Amino acid sequence: MRELVIETKDLNKKYRGRYAVRNLNLEIGRGEIYGFLGPNGAGKTTTIRMLLGLIRPTMGSIHIFGKDLRKEKLNILRKVGSLVEYPSNYGHLTAVQNLEAVRRILDVPKSRIDEVLSIVSLTKDAKRPVKGYSLGMKQRLGIATALLGNPELLILDEPTNGLDPEGIHEIRELIRSMPQQHGITVLVSSHLLSEVEQMAGTVGIIREGELVFQDTISNLQQQASGGFRLVVSEPAEALQLIRGQGYAGRLEDGGLRLDQLSDPEVALLVKRLVDHNHAIYRVEEKRRTLEDIFMQVIEQGGLS
Amino acid sequence: MIGKALSSDFLKIRRKGIWFLVFLGSVGLLAMQALNFGLRYDYLTDRYKADLWKGLIGEIFSFVPIALYLGATLISSQIANVEHQNNSWKQLLALPISRASVFTAKVLLGFIAMGVACLILSAGTVVLGILLKFGTDDIPYLTILKLSFLPYLGALPMLALQLWLSLTLKNQALPITLGITAAIASMFAANYPEFIPLSWPFLSFISEAKPALPVGAGIILAFVVYMVGMGHFRGKDVN
Repeated sequence: MRELVIETKDLNKKYRGRYAVRNLNLEIGRGEIYGFLGPNGAGKTTTIRMLLGLIRPTMGSIHIFGKDLRKEKLNILRKVGSLVEYPSNYGHLTAVQNLEAVRRILDVPKSRIDEVLSIVSLTKDAKRPVKGYSLGMKQRLGIATALLGNPELLILDEPTNGLDPEGIHEIRELIRSMPQQHGITVLVSSHLLSEVEQMAGTVGIIREGELVFQDTISNLQQQASGGFRLVVSEPAEALQLIRGQGYAGRLEDGGLRLDQLSDPEVALLVKRLVDHNHAIYRVEEKRRTLEDIFMQVIEQGGLS
Repeated sequence: MIGKALSSDFLKIRRKGIWFLVFLGSVGLLAMQALNFGLRYDYLTDRYKADLWKGLIGEIFSFVPIALYLGATLISSQIANVEHQNNSWKQLLALPISRASVFTAKVLLGFIAMGVACLILSAGTVVLGILLKFGTDDIPYLTILKLSFLPYLGALPMLALQLWLSLTLKNQALPITLGITAAIASMFAANYPEFIPLSWPFLSFISEAKPALPVGAGIILAFVVYMVGMGHFRGKDVN
């Protein structure tokens, strides 16, 4: 059985009569990279703020490392590193001073500052005021700050937001290395599936405050099969034959579009068509991209 | 925990102009009097010939309450702005430290900064008096300390209120407006009944016979405001 690092039960947050987060049940196992997906305004940041004790849930409970967040907040936060939305460094201080300001509260050895700076490759610019940094550098400093206290859990809210492709790549590699090199569990939120699928093993999709999907990426990919396309010599007659066999299908772009079928079913269907003297030009599996599935989940609130 | 937060805060206010403000406020008051006495030295020394030191202290004191209120307002706002400007509340409050400690550390920081300003004012008054050749034989050290510290204690409720408002409101327009209004209103403190807190910085020094009343009331009210502010800060959602 996997050990859960984060577990929320029926988590709710209500703002002025409107639910920003509704009946959310997150389950995040140790050593996972969990991609927390959803369009802007779906409740990702609200959820993350609740996980960090920044805002109070209207209802429901949060357990991190098996402890109740309400009762043992400081003990939990000692082992959590976080980066919430846009960077929150002190612009007038250098990177080293920024880390020192946080270090004084965390009470970790001074050498840790150099370590985290080298993890995010900022050693070279460490003595410059942060206000002169690029967004990508600020974001990396944010991650360094999150890593300062040797956390077991890293909570990153939209860490690649607003970065250029190179910056996105760097951050992604950094996040990917966390579980292997440092044994850290990572919760990373994003509104882009393409980004999350390159690093996360498990995804949770949130829409209008409700969790509509939570499973591994590979299970999500398995749902990606979207049926078959057949191109034959006489589509209209072939369609009648197929319907006679009890399968659903329709004409589409001069071919036939069939729902998802098992391998024996496909074989049988092709044989029937050949027996009735249809020439078969193509049998194609239509795979939907994860992006399509994501959009379907976002629009309909669940997988069909 | 408060010590750790305070040490972190001392680092964070570097180059934020807080110490400059502390210096400007106290030395500014002294510079005004240097000018005042410099321009009409003969007139003033004649007027205060009975007790030159007392005269100097009285002239300085007329601006102490307003300076305390303005200082409390600006320093509170600067302390809070370190976090507001950088959107760093969310980072700070997600650290393993209680909100009570965070709040108390910032209050202490304001308290210390204002205290340093008062210390500079006291020391500077002595220096100014000597420069003005008021003699070194009978410098009224105790009165000079009272000159800045008794009104400071009387002004503590305003410091506590300003810190509470500045730390919990991102928009600093309200606390600053309130602080400046109070500073101006404090100039007419002599006309207020003594239960009005605005009169306390004035009364604490002027009613030398019984300063315990405004000073004690100032400390108690400041503590109450601090507790209420902390309660608010602890329960607040951080966005």
